[in-house]
Amino acid sequence: MNILTLLIFIPVLFGFIIMLLPSSMRNSFKYITLLATLVQLGISIWIYLNFKTGAGHGGINHEEQFQFVQKLPWIGLNLGSMGKMQIDYFVGIDGISITLLVMTSLVLVIASLASWEIKSNLKGFFLLFLLLDMAVIGVFCALDFFLFYMFYELMLLPLYFLIGMWGGARREYAAIKFFLYTLFGSVFMLLVMVGLYLSVTDPATGNHTFNIVQMMNPANYSAQSVFSLAGHQTILGMPARTVGFVVLFIAFAIKVPVVPLHTWLPDAHVEAPTPVSIILAGILLKIGGYGIIRICMGIFPDVATTHAFWLGLLGVISILYGAFNALAQRDLKRMIAYSSVSHMGFVLLGIASQTAEGISGSVMQMVSHGFLSTMLFFLVGVIYNRVHDRDIYHFRGLGTLMPKYTAFVMIAFFASLGLPGFSAFVAEAFTLAGVFKSHAVNGLLPYWMAVCGTLGIFLSAAYFLWTLQRMFFGQQSLKGGSVWKTALTDLNLREKLTLAPLALIALVLGIMPSLVFDKINDSVLALIQFLQAK
Amino acid sequence: MHDLLPHISEQLTEVFGSITYFIPEAFLALLFLVVMITDVLFGKRSAGLCRTVACAGILVVIFKDLQQFALILDGQHFIFSNMLLLSRSGILFKLVIDLLAFILLLYFTWDEKLNSHEKGLSDLYSITIASILGLHLMVMAVNLLSIYLAIEIVSIASYLMVAYRSENAFSTEAGLKYVLFGAASSAIMLYGISLLYGFSGSLDIVFQSTIIGLAKVNPISAIFAVILVLVGIGFKLSFVPVHFWVPDVYEGAPTPVTAYLSTLPKIAAFALLVNFLAPLMVWSNGIGFDLGIVLSIIGVISMIAGNFAAVMQTNIKRMLAYSSIGHTGFALMAVVILNLQGLSALTYYLLVYALANIGALALASYFSNVANAEGLDDYKGLGLKYPIASVCFTIILISLTGLPVSAGFTGKIFVFSAVYSVYQQTHSIWLMLLMATGALTTVVSLFYYIKIPLNLFLKRSENQDIVYKKSYNLLVLAVIISFVLILLGIFPDFVLKYL
Repeated sequence: MNILTLLIFIPVLFGFIIMLLPSSMRNSFKYITLLATLVQLGISIWIYLNFKTGAGHGGINHEEQFQFVQKLPWIGLNLGSMGKMQIDYFVGIDGISITLLVMTSLVLVIASLASWEIKSNLKGFFLLFLLLDMAVIGVFCALDFFLFYMFYELMLLPLYFLIGMWGGARREYAAIKFFLYTLFGSVFMLLVMVGLYLSVTDPATGNHTFNIVQMMNPANYSAQSVFSLAGHQTILGMPARTVGFVVLFIAFAIKVPVVPLHTWLPDAHVEAPTPVSIILAGILLKIGGYGIIRICMGIFPDVATTHAFWLGLLGVISILYGAFNALAQRDLKRMIAYSSVSHMGFVLLGIASQTAEGISGSVMQMVSHGFLSTMLFFLVGVIYNRVHDRDIYHFRGLGTLMPKYTAFVMIAFFASLGLPGFSAFVAEAFTLAGVFKSHAVNGLLPYWMAVCGTLGIFLSAAYFLWTLQRMFFGQQSLKGGSVWKTALTDLNLREKLTLAPLALIALVLGIMPSLVFDKINDSVLALIQFLQAK
Repeated sequence: MHDLLPHISEQLTEVFGSITYFIPEAFLALLFLVVMITDVLFGKRSAGLCRTVACAGILVVIFKDLQQFALILDGQHFIFSNMLLLSRSGILFKLVIDLLAFILLLYFTWDEKLNSHEKGLSDLYSITIASILGLHLMVMAVNLLSIYLAIEIVSIASYLMVAYRSENAFSTEAGLKYVLFGAASSAIMLYGISLLYGFSGSLDIVFQSTIIGLAKVNPISAIFAVILVLVGIGFKLSFVPVHFWVPDVYEGAPTPVTAYLSTLPKIAAFALLVNFLAPLMVWSNGIGFDLGIVLSIIGVISMIAGNFAAVMQTNIKRMLAYSSIGHTGFALMAVVILNLQGLSALTYYLLVYALANIGALALASYFSNVANAEGLDDYKGLGLKYPIASVCFTIILISLTGLPVSAGFTGKIFVFSAVYSVYQQTHSIWLMLLMATGALTTVVSLFYYIKIPLNLFLKRSENQDIVYKKSYNLLVLAVIISFVLILLGIFPDFVLKYL
């Protein structure tokens, strides 16, 4: 049994158990789900520890360098003159996926702990949760485009119901908006995927293939095919490869989300219940960034280089626009949602720089933001569960009322705004270093983009500190008066147990970023080499 | 007359020889008589018996269909003086039709509204069997005369089925509308056929004689005649602009009949269209008029019109009616390219669409039975009361939308890849447009399909005191269909390797 396959499908196994148990045992569902995510976390830590590094394990465009690989023929159809259709069940990881995989497993544990607040339709909730769990892990492991797409789309339906059934007042609107947005991106991705499949042949078997790694090798494209590098085909008058890149990029940019495709995010976050917000911010957004690195850059490196300026520009716009919006929010959860937009902008900016520092910074930023946004949304959930309000102006002086809570909020805020010593600082510093270097090394991004990125960090300090001052400092005054005062109890044991590891990781990654960098370095270097060679 | 005499024995030999290739159809004709006689002999109480006979008979026919594969090992056969064609794809289409017909025959009595009809359902079974015979002929017809006859058999049977139970003015209107439009369209088609015959002096379309004859006349009038015939076929396929009957008839007809109308005649009409088009495509390219472009335009418009109109519907059956127009447009994509890969993608797509559509309508029957729900509003909050049915409904609708992991998704991807491989060679802008529209309308279709799960699960019902009723048969059917749809979504080669 392949360890990755086990990791992907464990949730389904536990899902079956929940499905078969009668509703009278509904109180046990949360423990079963927690157990499933803990087992996953254990496996992913084992994978992390056994993950081999070194020049021979870079991955990216070398199929043999991927680790924990399993490749089984899945759909193989004889199409007569067209050859054979080859779809494999092909999973494997390299440096880019490994850290995200561990981050995902941990975030899922936190999310399952956060789901203890769910009180209605427990069976449905946990079944959908586990289905989503399977899909997100699958996305990070899949190396066959068809398989990737399956998992990618499979996330949508559970999320739709999770937001729509357990969400807030405007849940229907938020759920359908999210669903339509993402589907809009991915149906066109389907067309590009089919086009790529028909352009690429597997040199080993001579069949058309969905293998992502084979798609990265320009030699595998047949000369007359649509996406052939040498063919210079056009689609509706535009270069076919540019069209392909743009379509894929839009699909992933919606997930990231990149301004101006971000409008689903604040709505979805505000309406989603806490565990779903955590998964959305902690994992889903990373799938966008991961997709851009693995698929957009991997398959269309030439276009990515030519249009790097525009990618960087979109990144800068996201950073600044997200930050300014965050400044203007009254709703705490909405503010954090916009701060996610801003922080994910760094990911795009770092990727666009195409330097080792920039891409390492991007991956680090994804990992760091995965933990920090989880923490932030969990913290919002704590206060919302107690008084069902999260308007920043309705609270004041929480610091004296809930000291432990305030301590964790301060850690999360300071870590997020990039205080040295925390993970986000390392990530953003590397990203910006990469962008500065880019001008000299490959000339892709101008200096002012790095300057704007720095401005983004400054703005994030502004909105986080201002919120801290408004909500937690000063004279105690609550909108709900004494009712709220009794309701707002400090953190309980479960909440402390959830938050402590997150805070710890943010700190550890800030002091020892090598935990991430060591694992990703070979892959990042391989990617840079691949981008330069193309 | 005397000149013909020597040919008689030769002709007879040919006819007798052809019967070997005509066994399933002969069985269907026999089955029709047996069901009818059962009905007459046993009178009012015969419905159950007729059903048993009909279902058993269809199983035999399926078996006979399977046996036909042995007959075509040496290639396709023209039978009855080139009236019909027995080919591999034809047998596959017949199998799909019979399989779905079997499900439908079982399903008829499970719809309470139809079942409560005082006349009883016995007649419906004999009519259905007759229509299946017509569908078989449609799949095999390659002569303008046999095409017309086959279409008429199916049409007359469907007129009767639509008007079978006219409980109110609305369904009577639906029945009448269907007859009037059907008659008009078949008249138009007949006119087209007569023109083609007049131009070429032959009714044979697969052989060169018609094409050569057509090449001699003014292209515009020949194109006109072909378009007229297409109108007749298009009426059965319900593509735009001959789709206007669909919403009213689908809504007014009894739900199982809607399930029949939206699937079987459509599949047969697609088979017919492929047979009809193959020789004409060559001709149309010869005169510088691309029939493929006409079909592409029809496909694009059908997808857009069907899907966008469905968004505004509140009645489930009406919504599914418009969505079926959209699906026709999508399937036309596979017809336009007209190659083997396209044909197998088409068969698979139609099979999957038909299964899902029957499943969706079966569940519409189910909710109408248990909760008297007809419109979207009536579905509010039912999801938690009937969880299994609602989950199945969601799976089936996901398949209709074409999202993974469902058979609808694999169907879509096979059609796309078939079209793409042709696009790669021809770079026809129309194919690109078809695919882009297909992708775009998927998003639109999600918007209205998801309204059903939305009402089932997300909305709360205002009316809490709904009487619980159980209805197992339809539930089992829906569960089986959903299971098959998911299975085909993960392992499409179970079916596809035979296509």
